[in-house]
Amino acid sequence: MNTISRKLRNMTAIAAVAAIAAPSFAAADVTVGVLVPLTGELGEFGAIVAGGVEVAVNEINAAGGTSCGMLRTVIADTGGSAEKGIREATKMIETEGAVAILGPTSGVMVALVDLAKRRQTPIISPYAGTITLDELGGDYVYRTVGSDLGDGAAAGLWLTEKGYKSVAMLVQNEESTISPAQVARAALEEANVEITDYVIYNPGQPSYQAELVAVLANNPDVIYLAGGQESGVTVMKEAAVGGFEGEWLLTADLAVPQIFEAVDPRILNGRAYVQLAEPDNSLPAYQTFAAKMMMETGAAPGPFAANSYDMAMLVALALEGSEGCNGEAINSAIRDVTVDGEMVSDFAAARDLIAGGTNIDFEGASGPLTMDESGTPAGSFLIMRAEDGAWVSEKFYPATVFE
Amino acid sequence: MTVFFQLVLTGLVTGSFLILATIGFSFTRRVEGFLNIAHPELLGVSAFTTWGLNVIWGWHIIPSAMVGIVFTAFVGLIIGRVVYDPIRALGPAILLITSVGVHYVLGGSVDAIVGTGIRSLDIPLAESYRFWGVRITNYQMIVVVFAALATVGLALFLNKTPMGLAIRAMSANPELAASRGIDVKSTSRITWLISSGLAGLAGVMLAVIATLSTDIAFNQILQILAVAILAGLGSLYAVVAAGLIIGVAMDVSVFWIPAGYRPLVAFSVVILVLMFRPEGLAGKKSR
Repeated sequence: MNTISRKLRNMTAIAAVAAIAAPSFAAADVTVGVLVPLTGELGEFGAIVAGGVEVAVNEINAAGGTSCGMLRTVIADTGGSAEKGIREATKMIETEGAVAILGPTSGVMVALVDLAKRRQTPIISPYAGTITLDELGGDYVYRTVGSDLGDGAAAGLWLTEKGYKSVAMLVQNEESTISPAQVARAALEEANVEITDYVIYNPGQPSYQAELVAVLANNPDVIYLAGGQESGVTVMKEAAVGGFEGEWLLTADLAVPQIFEAVDPRILNGRAYVQLAEPDNSLPAYQTFAAKMMMETGAAPGPFAANSYDMAMLVALALEGSEGCNGEAINSAIRDVTVDGEMVSDFAAARDLIAGGTNIDFEGASGPLTMDESGTPAGSFLIMRAEDGAWVSEKFYPATVFE
Repeated sequence: MTVFFQLVLTGLVTGSFLILATIGFSFTRRVEGFLNIAHPELLGVSAFTTWGLNVIWGWHIIPSAMVGIVFTAFVGLIIGRVVYDPIRALGPAILLITSVGVHYVLGGSVDAIVGTGIRSLDIPLAESYRFWGVRITNYQMIVVVFAALATVGLALFLNKTPMGLAIRAMSANPELAASRGIDVKSTSRITWLISSGLAGLAGVMLAVIATLSTDIAFNQILQILAVAILAGLGSLYAVVAAGLIIGVAMDVSVFWIPAGYRPLVAFSVVILVLMFRPEGLAGKKSR
């Protein structure tokens, strides 16, 4: 029933993002599907991803497009539902002729693996860190973000470095939150940090008091909260009312400014940290991308925007580096343009080098994109702390830390 | 042991919210004769109306909540008259399927108007009180009080007022009630107003204790159905017992089993009770 309900809900968000995407429909020859959550609590991330892809597509088309023609995007909303994701992806491939599908979240990515391989259409995600893809990815299934193994490792490293003696772990019952929590838990156990509770809870509840009762009774130094926005905000409020005076480490879903409108800043300021996959902002490629984003949208890049931009770039360069113009061709070349070649970060320059027979190692806005066997680049991570009602950088962990 | 009693208390609050969320649903089932799947969406209409008035327009929470409840009551009435009344003769199955469509439209409308992300009311952080070692917040107490008031108020209305008696007569036998001079149409309108108003009250409580996303209201449908089935479809008083049983069972279960299994506990209770009492807690006689 819940899935059914989302059909009409999606229309407004789709219309809004389609309006953004409109310029890329002109003179289009190669279709790329953008399959993101535009509704539901992850809707803001979906809009960011669609925006990042559009910046890349506009840049590619402004440079004359690919050798297969101009890129155009078709956008559909998953609402976070795997079932809807499969339906929309099938429609994109069969009706729209999409040669690649960009943007699914963890659960949707896992559900699409079979379809991608069967229909020989690469799927790429800018934020699906799930460790399930560590096994399933690598052929038609790629990411421009690090695995949750790194995400959880970063959380474990941070909690250990901070010197907390006891940690309670509250984990939303979803693939994308359980994966990093498992890794973080293992890292904490290895460091002999006491885990007072490890609670997996279901989202969508009016209250999480029952889950919090035992957690608060054990009075941990810090609560690691791997949850969505709806559940996370309620949990933080209820824990504060319940007398919790320790600190928080939150996961990426809560790394949005709106959290400070929903939660009393007194609960967050100086006590809450959030951890997310983040490109190295000092890289020239990131700064160039950020300037483009600012010019086109009037806003600084949001979470995973650089990773989203890189997805479209990889597709375009894989088309340049292959003999064909379909998904199979992209799949055959997507790794080759990110390894063992001349370092380049600009589409037009990269295209010209490929045309001249030079191998390239495309370094994206999110950082190096060289992939491991599972089609995953090494990730870098940022810890931010709540200060005066905003998230500010606390500590950056480059990918080399986790190699 | 304090943890156990804290879970019992938390369960009573959860049960009270379930009573509020279910009582209007059960009332509709009793009088109109079908399962209104769109009922939880009315919680969302109320919650977001209250949120809009409170946060966007800057109203105090009390007038915001009152307008939210009244607005929801009239939304429910309009839906009842425009959508359900014309197809009433087609039977409960058609009405149920139609209510799925209404759920679609309501949910989509809320999505379109509210947008993505999360919303919270502009109200102070809850205050916590301790009694014999267990803790309860002022907002939780409000939920319990309103659940009690709604139940007692509805019982008094149905048993002590002419309109309430007319509604009971209509729910028992619409044809006979009509032949005895009861205005079936106006009785139906009052039913929609009351059941939707109760959904509105539950929506306000949801907005007070929870963080709002456009999905959260409909997320309650399974628990509402569990309470309604356990109570015995059509019963009102048994809703109270069923809500408390399911609320306490779900929350106390966390003492022994992982919290992720709370929904499983709710339906396990329903299955267990129905094995021994298939007609539900209310028995065959529906009140």
